[in-house]
Amino acid sequence: MPSGVPSRDPAGPLRDPANRVSPKAVRLWLVEALIAFALLVGISILIARWVGPSGWSWLPQWFADDPWLLPVGVGVLTTPFLVAEPFVRYAVHRWELSGDVVYARSGFLTREWVFVPVSRIQTVDKAQGWIERMLGLATLEIRTASHAGSSTIKGLDYTVAAGLAEELAHRAEELRDDAT
Amino acid sequence: MSVPLRLSPKVLLLQPVRMLPSLILPLLGLLFVGGFSGSSYVWVAGGVGVTLAFGVVRWATFSYEIVGDRLEIKRSLVSRSVRTIPMERIRGVDVSTPPMHRLLGLAVLKIDTGASGGDEEGKLDGVTLEEAERLKAVLLRRTRVATAPVPGTPATDAVQDVAVPVEQGIIRVPWRWLLYGPLSGAYLLTPFALAGGAVGLAFQWGDDLGFGQDTALSVGEWLWDHPYLLLGVALLLVVAMPFVGGVMYVVFNWDFRLTHRDGYLVAERGLINRRSVSLESRRVRGYEIVDGLAERWANVVRVWAIVTGLGESQTRGQLLPDVPRQIAFQVTGDAVGSFGSELRPHPPIARNRRLFRAIAPWLALALATALAALLTGVTAWWIAAVITLLLAGLGIPLGIDRYRSLGHGYDGMRLSVRQGSLRRSQAVIERRAVVGWHIRQTWFQRRAGVFTLTAGVGAGQGGYSAVDVSRAQVAGFPAEVTPEWLAPFLSEGS
Repeated sequence: MPSGVPSRDPAGPLRDPANRVSPKAVRLWLVEALIAFALLVGISILIARWVGPSGWSWLPQWFADDPWLLPVGVGVLTTPFLVAEPFVRYAVHRWELSGDVVYARSGFLTREWVFVPVSRIQTVDKAQGWIERMLGLATLEIRTASHAGSSTIKGLDYTVAAGLAEELAHRAEELRDDAT
Repeated sequence: MSVPLRLSPKVLLLQPVRMLPSLILPLLGLLFVGGFSGSSYVWVAGGVGVTLAFGVVRWATFSYEIVGDRLEIKRSLVSRSVRTIPMERIRGVDVSTPPMHRLLGLAVLKIDTGASGGDEEGKLDGVTLEEAERLKAVLLRRTRVATAPVPGTPATDAVQDVAVPVEQGIIRVPWRWLLYGPLSGAYLLTPFALAGGAVGLAFQWGDDLGFGQDTALSVGEWLWDHPYLLLGVALLLVVAMPFVGGVMYVVFNWDFRLTHRDGYLVAERGLINRRSVSLESRRVRGYEIVDGLAERWANVVRVWAIVTGLGESQTRGQLLPDVPRQIAFQVTGDAVGSFGSELRPHPPIARNRRLFRAIAPWLALALATALAALLTGVTAWWIAAVITLLLAGLGIPLGIDRYRSLGHGYDGMRLSVRQGSLRRSQAVIERRAVVGWHIRQTWFQRRAGVFTLTAGVGAGQGGYSAVDVSRAQVAGFPAEVTPEWLAPFLSEGS
């Protein structure tokens, strides 16, 4: 097991996957969190401007007087998540390919572990959003016949993702097992 | 056999009947607009004529043909289109006879190719019964020969096999068991649907039937002013639920037969629309045993097959309607394979989680309504508070029962997971159908130290979950079922 952040919550006797995602992924998650933050605050500003002067009787008086409390509240509540998410994700997101099985872990508040044997892989895609392209990152999407047996590894370095996709596609071809 | 074939011409008789509902309103509208003048009748007659002619042309331009090892369905009405279905992709053939078709001795043949969209499948609407049987035999035979070349077996063997179809009855559900129908909870809402449909029709057709929408509205208002009558009607509908539901169940599940035929599991059922679904045995990966609360009390279960690439699996994959549990185990054992192991319980903390989830929402609602009652003093809030409190109380046995349902197990061949209380379902899946494992832990689960383990399966729902398994089980179960996949990732010393 590589050193670094000690495993926070190992799933029983399961060990951590060996490889971290690219350190640049922290920036990716930060940008994504900022966009989500801006959207949330923006929407709550709109709601505040719409509801504030509406004079609806069921609104509490203190809120009608000061509708700006809504976006401020939303901002205060979400900021800790905004700050924590990229780093928690970087600690959690890991992947490994051993013994022809892809083992990946991901998540922030909800953790997910996925085991996908290469023999059951149907397609391997690598995708890049515009933020990922700017950062030189890529997302690897590994699909099987079942959504529950499919895996998405985010925040990989582009060259790593390309190499892994190539290797998986190649091995999957060799090991093809059409029991499903 | 390389002549393009058409559907039976008798299907042309069905055409007007089928078009009638959608045509009648525009045609009536035309008559009204025309003021019932002579010319308006001519226009209507023209409209009907064009529709009939359209039907004839469509029939004449639709053909199907078996070319080599594929079925080609040709349409050349507006643009020419040929749908080619390779025989080896055919996973099942579904013959059904809706009432109108049955009168004319026709059938609808649906060809299941395992494609994702419903439109991708082939459909021959209106072949004669004999042709349907012939096609079914041909299509399924070709499939079998094309896809199951057993090495070492001469090809002639396979063909001979087919010439005399091996048909072996598995079960014919006796009519007495149809009485279990109302317990299933299926079709229970039919009375409400019927009443709703009648109200809708009254509004839509009120004008044509001689009373306007105003009349319908005033009837509604009158009813609203007599709440006891309304309550009576609602009560009547509720009382009618099990009866109407039971009748519907009988209509759909009449004379249910399950047979082995030529490498296919064939389920036939239905009173008015007799339906026969063929499931290719080698694509059956397992089954799901479902029993609701009332069914468990009567010790009966329903069974669905878990089949790779079967669309509409809820209606088409049914292996058994309500039958006694022992019979169901026997039949699934014969038809697919039995599960010979006990289910292991999940850790006690899972019970607390089930209880919390069954009780807490209602309790919170009860508190909120009680608070509202105290603040406003309106009696309705008190009533709501009492009802929600009762529901919270019901949550206790419900939560305990949900916990009791939880379980997972593996017998060396098949794995099984079970969950649910009001609708308990146990899935039994072949080991080789598993395409991966997915473990999930929400923030709340992390605090309780439990996980949701899902076996990814390329059939049925795509994944079957064991909810709230312990730390040891979440790694232990996949390691037990697929040791070679998990071995590299188990930490040493455990």
